[in-house]
Amino acid sequence: MLMKENLVSLKMVVNGKPVEVKVDPTWTLLYVLREELKLTGTKKGCEKGDCGACTVLLQGKAVNSCLILALQAEGKEIETIESLGTADSLHPLQKSFIANGAVQCGFCTPGMLLSAAALLKKKPNPTEKEIREAISGNLCRCTGYAKIVKAIQNVSAFKE
Amino acid sequence: MQRFQFCSPKSMDEALRFLSEKGDCAKIVAGGTDLIPRLREGNFRPEFVINILEIEELQGIREVQGGLRLGAATTHTQVAESEILQRSYPSLAQAAASVGGPLIRNRGTIGGNLANASPAADLAPALLSLNAEAVIRDGRGTRTVALKDFFAGPSKTVLHPDELLTEISIPPGKGKNIFLKLGRRQAMSLSIVNVAVCLEMEGKICRKSRIALGSVAPTPIRCPEAEALLINKELGPELIAKCAREAMAASKPVDDQRAKAWYRLEAGTVLLRRALTEAAGQIA
Repeated sequence: MLMKENLVSLKMVVNGKPVEVKVDPTWTLLYVLREELKLTGTKKGCEKGDCGACTVLLQGKAVNSCLILALQAEGKEIETIESLGTADSLHPLQKSFIANGAVQCGFCTPGMLLSAAALLKKKPNPTEKEIREAISGNLCRCTGYAKIVKAIQNVSAFKE
Repeated sequence: MQRFQFCSPKSMDEALRFLSEKGDCAKIVAGGTDLIPRLREGNFRPEFVINILEIEELQGIREVQGGLRLGAATTHTQVAESEILQRSYPSLAQAAASVGGPLIRNRGTIGGNLANASPAADLAPALLSLNAEAVIRDGRGTRTVALKDFFAGPSKTVLHPDELLTEISIPPGKGKNIFLKLGRRQAMSLSIVNVAVCLEMEGKICRKSRIALGSVAPTPIRCPEAEALLINKELGPELIAKCAREAMAASKPVDDQRAKAWYRLEAGTVLLRRALTEAAGQIA
């Protein structure tokens, strides 16, 4: 049972906004994002760092949030899928994924988009090999990856 | 996860003070890629978890008197993308690039890979073949341990509970260094066998050789008998094949969920032949 006295204050910047939450030291960043901040776009898959469903950007780098203790994120900048785009204002990657049929059940999609976004920041025109390597930590059980790779390759068609 | 208290020292001294008091019941967390799943499964039940990622002295790759010093908290991504490493010690950059996937590499650290001491640790064979040393500190001082003496068994090192692995030191050296890994897939794969070689050649004659293997013994190992076969000899396909067989003969692979022992012996021999051939400057 969770005793309130054991909770520790955690301050971070999430999607550009400073937040402060009280956390148990055993909580992961994934847990805090989903359960305390109600940012449920980030998914819980394996909780072992094998599937990538929990991908977020930490200081701009794509990481498994299930492997980060929440308190390790003190003072850090986190970007979740919610910051990539909205229904009214889709990110070019999101437009490309939709146009290229790269989404089936959608469970891997937030992680795929963030891994792709991180890649494009470093390499705006990646080769197919670089794309496949960038998403190699994100598992998809539905699509067979081909359309996801194509969507990332074709993203420049959707940039304004 | 069993309850623990979390602390995040901002300096080396703070961390070492804490370890000298609570080291027996504490676990160090850096990238967390090995620790967190273990905490979840109850393999470890520490009372304290010490986050070392805020300690500046543990970061960075620097050239020191012709050699290299890597902070223990350097991530695999940083090692893989380091221009100094890609130029002078490509086997280490290749080894780091082979760990897990990009998400894991952005958090997992070189110190964690070694301190976790999996027999399959990807950085270990590369570092062993480069004659690396582990720089270890406690509240009283510093000691340096050759990496070949660092591993004590599967998941066991010579680190005491109050000690912190702070740096990996690579001495100056020339020599063509190659790392090769076989996994069940191209990414997110523990190795079935991984090999690293470093050869200093004078034309076709080998003057110095170092060969290291992973995943085929209780710890990552060097292969001194096989290395000796090459010294001051002209390297050709037959001698290389003989050396590869000799190196694998010194290993003790087991059956596990990734591969059978016989397959590790065969695959290791092939990887070694390829690595030695390439390091000798010949077409594999």
